Amino acid sequence: MKADVELSLVHDGENWIARGGAVVAVGETLHEVDESVTHALRDSGVFPMGSSVTVFMGFDFDTIPTWLRQYHTHYFNRYITVDL
Amino acid sequence: MATVNRKWTDGMLHTEDWWAVWLGLLMFGAGLLSIWGVDLVGWMAKTKTWEWGKLWSDPSFNTLLAAAHGKAGNAYEGMGGLGSLLVTYMVFTVLTCIGAYFQKLDVKKFFMGWTCIFFITWGAWIIGHEAHFKALKTGQSITQSEIYGDNVYCTTKVNKCSAQINKALTGMGVNVLAGDVPTKEQAAQAIAKSKNSIHMSWGLQLGGGFSYMLALAVGLLIGNLFKGFANFLREGAKPEWFIKTAIVYLGIKLGLMSMKAAGFALELALAGAAACFVAYLLFWPIVYAMGRKLFKLRRDASAVLSSGISICGVSASIATAGAIRAKPILPIAVSMLIVVFAMVELVVLPTFYAAVAPEAPIVNGAAMGMTVKTDGADAAAGAILDEMMVANHYRTTGETWEADWILSAAILTKIWIDVFIGVWAFVLALIWVYKVERKPGQAHVGASEIWFRFPKFVIGYFIAWLTYVAIAVWFPDAIKAASSGAGVVQSPMRKMMFMLTFVAIGVITDFAKLKGMGRLTALYAIALFVVIAPIAYFVAWIFHRGMLPPLAAG
Repeated sequence: MKADVELSLVHDGENWIARGGAVVAVGETLHEVDESVTHALRDSGVFPMGSSVTVFMGFDFDTIPTWLRQYHTHYFNRYITVDL
Repeated sequence: MATVNRKWTDGMLHTEDWWAVWLGLLMFGAGLLSIWGVDLVGWMAKTKTWEWGKLWSDPSFNTLLAAAHGKAGNAYEGMGGLGSLLVTYMVFTVLTCIGAYFQKLDVKKFFMGWTCIFFITWGAWIIGHEAHFKALKTGQSITQSEIYGDNVYCTTKVNKCSAQINKALTGMGVNVLAGDVPTKEQAAQAIAKSKNSIHMSWGLQLGGGFSYMLALAVGLLIGNLFKGFANFLREGAKPEWFIKTAIVYLGIKLGLMSMKAAGFALELALAGAAACFVAYLLFWPIVYAMGRKLFKLRRDASAVLSSGISICGVSASIATAGAIRAKPILPIAVSMLIVVFAMVELVVLPTFYAAVAPEAPIVNGAAMGMTVKTDGADAAAGAILDEMMVANHYRTTGETWEADWILSAAILTKIWIDVFIGVWAFVLALIWVYKVERKPGQAHVGASEIWFRFPKFVIGYFIAWLTYVAIAVWFPDAIKAASSGAGVVQSPMRKMMFMLTFVAIGVITDFAKLKGMGRLTALYAIALFVVIAPIAYFVAWIFHRGMLPPLAAG
């Protein structure tokens, strides 16, 4: 699926953090991250207001401990559609 | 830089799963060249069964080791045991260090750890081949001990010793296959002429399984009593990488076995798939309900643990946690539990199954595949079970089952489970995103998630297996030449990867990690031994009952 914005996602033990370019979105739940992404995109002014933006979030597997990576190589990716 | 799976090709250079495919197919391809008379794998070292007294009187590496050169080209005929071991070390060190570099491991630490693990492995393997531990009695010694004596042991496959003794007797005019009975003197002369038959006052007759158990014991000893050393080795201790590479090599073995017993191989593969499918549908809901109702776990913890216990251990718990968007700490905690319990299963189950059901080898193997979590522990348990059951059956009946069918049953069920993980995680993700945590403006789940979770080493396994099946079907004249190179890759090379797995899995297992896991540990133990193991055995029995490995050719 093609996305307008690509972000990498990590969890720091307390919050999910989505990053990419100028966008940094933080939230305790993924729903809060989605809201934070929406605000960040609105503030950035890159996309016109009223447009619909597809955002890709891929989990950064480098944040999984090294010893665990040999068992599985993927956590999750997600797409959200944000109406600005 | 972040590692995110985006394109279908992502991970091909930096995951151990893909590196198992590359290492596996590289050697598979090198072995295949024997069809054209080129021996690119004959440098591989292989262990020999040796006897302490003989080594003492004539100390030489050639008593312990040999180059495994195939019949193609005889390019390595002059290579001694020590030389072949050093070449084996160099080839695999270069290849694994290249892999470690691309997997973003600390190559220096990997090299140091790998080197220690390599030589510890070979030390254990050589000791495990001492005749008093390994050698089985010859068939004649078991069934006609009053003529041959009951102290004659065989330093190679027992059917070869039987053939050597019978050939020597035929040379003396005694045709035992036609019913002639040799005198004690003739029998003694025939044994003396058989180059692989030796007299020993005692022997444990443990077969190749002793090497595996020794390697595991050494690894566990390091992992639990010498933790500083274990930490030093940790970067080089990659049991999943080693075992997945070994499983690709095992595909070659299954291909060779399919040449002889195609119907049985196909039946085994289909029965394994059906059994896994049924087991999936039973395991997961039962354990999930136990977690929720009995242990009052949260929904996400219960789901992750259910997959970990009932499907395929660490891999399934990470896949499930990802599918339900759980915090990463959850699968990390569950994985620590799984790794330690997999070791307990590996130690307990082969002996238990071999003792309780000695006449149900394939059922035992398939049940092992569905019960033991993590590929490494399952393959290791399957290998021990195979060696143990073949040796036990021979000791009690004088009949030799062909080796590696029980191991193949354990691996095949595991492989189907691994393949299903991606599909199961995808279904779970759909349920979670669209039903459980339904939100306005919700996220979408891409079907590419199935591919990202697909175990890639399975591709190498099937390529190797089906290539040899194709040779048998379309190029039957090439079978003999193909078997020469394949024999090196699927036997000493595969067994070395198994042995490396045994040591590495022991090194990374620290039983102290169970402390403080409370309810999770209790649920895991109860679910495993009360729910999973009995149901797995029952399902394996339903689909595999009556299946026996073919008898080894005499």
